[in-house]
Amino acid sequence: MSQPAESAKAAPRTAVLTVEGLDVTVGPGVRAVREVSFTLERGEAVGLVGESGSGKSLTCRSVLGVLAAGCEIPAGRITLGGSAGEQDDLTTFTRTQWDAVRGKRVGAVFQDPASFLNPSLTVGRQLSEQLRVGSGLPRSDARSRAVELFTAVGLHRPDEVYHQYPYELSGGMLQRVLIAIAVSCAPELLIADEATTALDVVIQAEILELLNRLRTEQGLALLLVTHDLAVVAESCDRILVMYAGEIVEDGPTAEVLATPAHPYTEALLRVASIGAWERRDLEIIPGRPPETGAELPGCRFADRCAYAAQQCTAGPVALHALGDHRRARCLRPAGLLDEQVKEEAHA
Amino acid sequence: MSSPTASHTTPSATTHTTPAAAPGLAPERKGPAPLLELAGLNVSFGRRATSLRRAGRTRVLAGIDLAIGPGEILGIIGETGSGKTTLARATVGLVRPDAGRIVFDGQDLTQLDRSGLREFRRSGRVQYMFQDPLRSQDPELTVRQIVAEPLAAVGALTRQGRAERADQALTLVGLDAEALGGRTPGQISGGQRQRVSLARAIVTRPRLLLSDEPVSALDASNRNLVLSLLDRLRRELGLAVVVISHDLSSLAGIADRVAVLYRGRLVEQGPIGEVLDHPLHPYTALLTASAPSVRREHRLLPSQLRAPAASSGTQSWPDDEGCVFAQHCRFADDACRAEPRPGAVTDTPASAAYAVACHHTATWRDQLG
Amino acid sequence: MRTLRRAWRLRSARIALAVLALVALLAVAGGALAPHDPLAQHPADMLQGPSGRHPFGTDYLGRDVLSRLLAGTGLSVAGAIEAVGSAMLLGIVPGIASVWLGRTVEWTAQRAADTLMIMPFTVFAIAVVGALGNGMHQAMLALGVLFAPLYFRVTRAAALGLKQAQYVEAAELMGASRRWILRTHVWSKVLPTVAVTTAQAVGQALLVVASLTFLGLGVQPPAPTWGGMLASDLGYLAQQPWAPLIPGVAIMITVGALNILADAIRDSSGGQEQASPAEAPLPALSPPAAVGSALAPVVAPKEVEDRVTTG
Repeated sequence: MSQPAESAKAAPRTAVLTVEGLDVTVGPGVRAVREVSFTLERGEAVGLVGESGSGKSLTCRSVLGVLAAGCEIPAGRITLGGSAGEQDDLTTFTRTQWDAVRGKRVGAVFQDPASFLNPSLTVGRQLSEQLRVGSGLPRSDARSRAVELFTAVGLHRPDEVYHQYPYELSGGMLQRVLIAIAVSCAPELLIADEATTALDVVIQAEILELLNRLRTEQGLALLLVTHDLAVVAESCDRILVMYAGEIVEDGPTAEVLATPAHPYTEALLRVASIGAWERRDLEIIPGRPPETGAELPGCRFADRCAYAAQQCTAGPVALHALGDHRRARCLRPAGLLDEQVKEEAHA
Repeated sequence: MSSPTASHTTPSATTHTTPAAAPGLAPERKGPAPLLELAGLNVSFGRRATSLRRAGRTRVLAGIDLAIGPGEILGIIGETGSGKTTLARATVGLVRPDAGRIVFDGQDLTQLDRSGLREFRRSGRVQYMFQDPLRSQDPELTVRQIVAEPLAAVGALTRQGRAERADQALTLVGLDAEALGGRTPGQISGGQRQRVSLARAIVTRPRLLLSDEPVSALDASNRNLVLSLLDRLRRELGLAVVVISHDLSSLAGIADRVAVLYRGRLVEQGPIGEVLDHPLHPYTALLTASAPSVRREHRLLPSQLRAPAASSGTQSWPDDEGCVFAQHCRFADDACRAEPRPGAVTDTPASAAYAVACHHTATWRDQLG
Repeated sequence: MRTLRRAWRLRSARIALAVLALVALLAVAGGALAPHDPLAQHPADMLQGPSGRHPFGTDYLGRDVLSRLLAGTGLSVAGAIEAVGSAMLLGIVPGIASVWLGRTVEWTAQRAADTLMIMPFTVFAIAVVGALGNGMHQAMLALGVLFAPLYFRVTRAAALGLKQAQYVEAAELMGASRRWILRTHVWSKVLPTVAVTTAQAVGQALLVVASLTFLGLGVQPPAPTWGGMLASDLGYLAQQPWAPLIPGVAIMITVGALNILADAIRDSSGGQEQASPAEAPLPALSPPAAVGSALAPVVAPKEVEDRVTTG
């Protein structure tokens, strides 16, 4: 299950989240996530990028243990805090064990904040409830701590917000409330699944700044799941690119954006917003991704790839290490394709 | 011009925005006469009385002056609630304005009665693309029927002729008419549905297309595909396009001009390169600074432009008076209690209409820390 | 009609239509097929069980039940069609008009429907028959008027939703006439609701004929109807407990076939297939489980459940 590259890269002691060889099926034999492995270190922000159907949301739901009915994890391990014991594998957790994890060690924010709040309770009450359940604070302490948290997430006049109902707040304010709830018990890991997608750009920038501030102040690790490469470019240390259920590239943001190792990353970069407005020819990625769970012999991107060679579709392509920090699921940057081409030329 | 309904709004607003009182406020334009011209457009919605407030009218758009030339692509940018969709709906007559003119090709659409408006619509010269193709396409009709409907509804051409025109339009937007023509909207992908909407909009060979958030539901690759299609249609059919969006990336690479809408007022409009690269209005500057990009080349940071937390949200800036952005503007001072008039910018190239509504156009950049 | 064509492809719809065709045939030719005179009384043969001569036995006046059933089909079906037909006309047209023809029409139609709904059935039927004369057609018209609000309300509810639909707005922007919008976008979506309502209404109409007969309204006693037979058979349960089953089964089969047809039409209308699986890959995850805030309340009921089942 584990790739050769990973054995070389020993899990650092400060790892907050380790996912190893994760498979998720969305139906009998339909593998929507394939052999996903990655590590998140303390205080690190990692962007998980991919288009819809790439398996990025399934991956983060697996980490939260909230997969929809019908989805299963046939293989893989998910551990928190770098502990390697068999009993710490989140994929085997029971409901009661999850209670000690969700909201306490792992927080989460999602795209549509309004649907995660009870419309008939004030937002302040919902936060202080979480504080009482999660941290065991008495009622009065929970209240003052809630107001502190509302201030920390940049809500103006937190005393008033405390008494407001979700419908009285705007989308950006609701997202701040959810972030306050998510970080209320000082988790080690915060997962933001398309948390800024539905917001206006001005608010989006504010929320991204807030997440980054919380990361530096509280030292929590951030897993930012998004379809927008531009969002990751501005707020993450590291990028994980997913395509059709697999991680195709992993590396430090600046390096990946400067010299993408996988053709899919390169294509995403070509179509992403570059902050230039003048008239120009806009690029597209030709073709469509394979059906969810389709079993292909070789590289899953091959039929959309400009560099595809015979060897790409011959057999499975492994996630190769490229230097110390980067990985890519492509034969080209690993030099394997060139050898093949040479051999073919000789023959 | 001030209608009795508008009298519920504050006096300052109504006097500022009556078109008769403000001649020549629309930016001067050179070149051919505009295809569509909006002048002093005001729109408000009736509000029912609740236990908390009296019945009245909520002003949604005020004093909109905007023009678009033939074959031009104009982007309208605004956040949720800025009135951008209302602006488009008012232009096609789905919302009746309180005041102002909507002149298309020399004809004032606000003067048309019900049957006159229908007659104008039957000409198919202006088309509107809804934001969500799934909701704006009848789930029971086939793609070919949907695309041919603008022709069929007015009894144009024969059945055969309409089917041919529909297939042509589908081909023009890069869809396989043979393969998709017989499917229903539920049986095709989101990107394809958006292109079906586009095919329906161009089947009458319109001169102006208004599209509301045409690409915001699509991923980057499909977004670029639809945007390049709009650009190609503009070149091949001489179509003028208004693209309405909350997201700057929906305009990048295709728009000629951009108009920035904030809480119902146009705060800045002009050629896209100049407006977005060197914004003259603090709100536009905040917008461009906030837009995420894979290249970190912004000269300004959003935090440099935001109002300090203490001043924002206080009572010092009452609603409906003064500059609409003052409450959230870092550079607002007492001058901003009076509503700024959208003034033409003089030191920009005369070829491009450029207007900005700010008291501190020349000075706010000097205050940047 | 796309919906009707698609419905025709369903086997259940074709069976239902075959049954209804048979009922229609009996309605036209039932009297001619009857082995005996349905009105001829044979006091000697009262309340007899099934025999070679009388396959379904005889009733309390010694009349042949099979003959009465066959001959009664025509009157029963004609009555039901008259009642339901007039109800559809009086309900659907104002229902759609109330949505599209402005506030005055809307107000008037709604108040008229309210008025009809509070009208006591018997009094209204007597009043109509008194005004228009006693006869089956008059009685069925009265019934139709009373059923009309049912159609009015379901049609109006369906049309109200459609008026807000963006594709209707899009059609208005094309300059489409009201007629075009109703024909292309509205009618096929209202049809399934109307079909289901009709299946119910026909069943009720078949039975109500009997209660009108009991009041001396509508169909006059010697003439056979299914509803009338059912009512009179119920009076002799002690002697012939099985007898009401015969007209009952006839009504059941007819109404059942209509219901199956209505279901087929509803299932074939486009609404259900909007979201293709590719668009919505996963059901939304349940909100409370996702955020820590409400975990405890979610878990608690489950535990209680477990305790109840184990203890």
